Amino acid sequence: MAVFPSKEWFEEVREVYNSDRSLHSGGGGACDTTAGFSIGDRRYRIEFAGLECAEVRESNDAELAETDFIIEMPIESWKAMVRDVQENGKASSSQTLNSLDLGLEDGIAHSPVDDQYKQDLFYRYNQNFQDFFNASSRVETTLE
Amino acid sequence: MSEAVEIPEEHDLDTSWMENMGEWGANARPGKRGLTLADIQVGSYGDLPEVSDNMTGRPRGAAVRPEAYRVGAYSVHTLSEIWLDNAEYLYEEALQRQWSSATDIPWHTLEPLPDDVEEAECFLCTFFNEVEFVAGDVPARWIAKTTPDYLEARNVLVVQVMDEARHMDVFRKRALANGGGLMRMSGATSGFVGSIDLARDFTEMSTRLHISGEGAVLTMFRMGELFGQNEAEKTMYRLCAQDEARHVAFGVMHLRFLAAAEPERGEEINCYLDEAEGQLISGQQNPAGALAETSEALAVLLGGGMQHYDEGHKKLLVIRRRQLKEYMKRVMSAGFGERFENGRSPIPERYAASA
Ligand SMILES: [Fe+2]
Ligand SMILES: [Fe+2]
Repeated sequence: MAVFPSKEWFEEVREVYNSDRSLHSGGGGACDTTAGFSIGDRRYRIEFAGLECAEVRESNDAELAETDFIIEMPIESWKAMVRDVQENGKASSSQTLNSLDLGLEDGIAHSPVDDQYKQDLFYRYNQNFQDFFNASSRVETTLE
Repeated sequence: MSEAVEIPEEHDLDTSWMENMGEWGANARPGKRGLTLADIQVGSYGDLPEVSDNMTGRPRGAAVRPEAYRVGAYSVHTLSEIWLDNAEYLYEEALQRQWSSATDIPWHTLEPLPDDVEEAECFLCTFFNEVEFVAGDVPARWIAKTTPDYLEARNVLVVQVMDEARHMDVFRKRALANGGGLMRMSGATSGFVGSIDLARDFTEMSTRLHISGEGAVLTMFRMGELFGQNEAEKTMYRLCAQDEARHVAFGVMHLRFLAAAEPERGEEINCYLDEAEGQLISGQQNPAGALAETSEALAVLLGGGMQHYDEGHKKLLVIRRRQLKEYMKRVMSAGFGERFENGRSPIPERYAASA
């Protein structure tokens, strides 16, 4: 059973996401971006290339500073989101990335260089990121 | 008498056309994303003229046919007028991210809503129907005015027209699918939204449409995830928001290109932004703005009914603030951020006041 958050967990989700096209919903086609996840004191870097998630790996602040945007939430919020996906098979409406972003005045996604063009990639590719986290419903998960 | 040309039994085949070709030996290779427009920028086929004298519709790189008719007096024929650095990429992305309003929206999740909520949603759908017509019609007008030499930028606009057709139809479908219907038109197309069509220059149009108009609409569509009452509505708004972010990206990248290529047009662009910001402030064109009827519909939906109007209105104000902030940062990203520091733009003051 994979533990969230961990490199293994992200790797398993990536495999599920890449192996089953039915998990890529309408409007979630080709996507090219790199993003960071800031989860408590852990950092992960994800890369989408074309129709697949090319890589997801453990990372650090310096590397995340080079990504298009970083999704940052308190670890409890991340866990609540992952738990919700586990329970419902996909994020329920209050736990989608976009809803979580709109729920906070400064949002959950920001460009490390404060470039709105790059931050807009979070909106432009939103469905891919949502599909990716929704794919985690198929990964047996323990919350750290 | 037959009009068929009589060919003598023995004649020489004229194959001189075979000797007229553009650069020969092109071997474009598909990459990870298939054979994209970026992959076929090979040899001289990737050369973009700074100024295009192509009036015959000749495909870029094809050999010239001197006697060809002048079919297009393309008014957009200078690269900086329309270009952006990632046109090929945006086009391919648009093609590969198309979705269907018929089958990708979980329509079965629609449920009867209280009258006030259904009316508010139908009012917004009516409003978006009007707006999406403009968003499709206006770029469409500019496609045929643009030289075929800039086909990549043209193609992005062609797919935008497709996107806007889908947006128009998805809101119409929603209005007609849940016991309601269309409401009285908002008249938005006679205000700022309609004035986008009065632009006499491509960049003027793009500034009004892609940066100011669609930037504001992008925030609204994202908000749909909050005010949508069911999975169908939330999905509809989320998918539209992705498309809208791509349209906004066109505007930002084009403005960036123009600012670098023709800095002398800076004052002109600032004037277009002045005009748009006047509208953002007055709320005429901005459906989430203070004066529009759409604001009331949004507050009803965000609150979950008339009885929670105040609560909905509070949420709307928070999002409105975010809209202003994102607008400013987008304009900065496009290279025109100075206006927010030198006192020219009224937005920073408005933003501060909304805290
Ligand atoms: Fe649209
Ligand atoms: Fe649009």
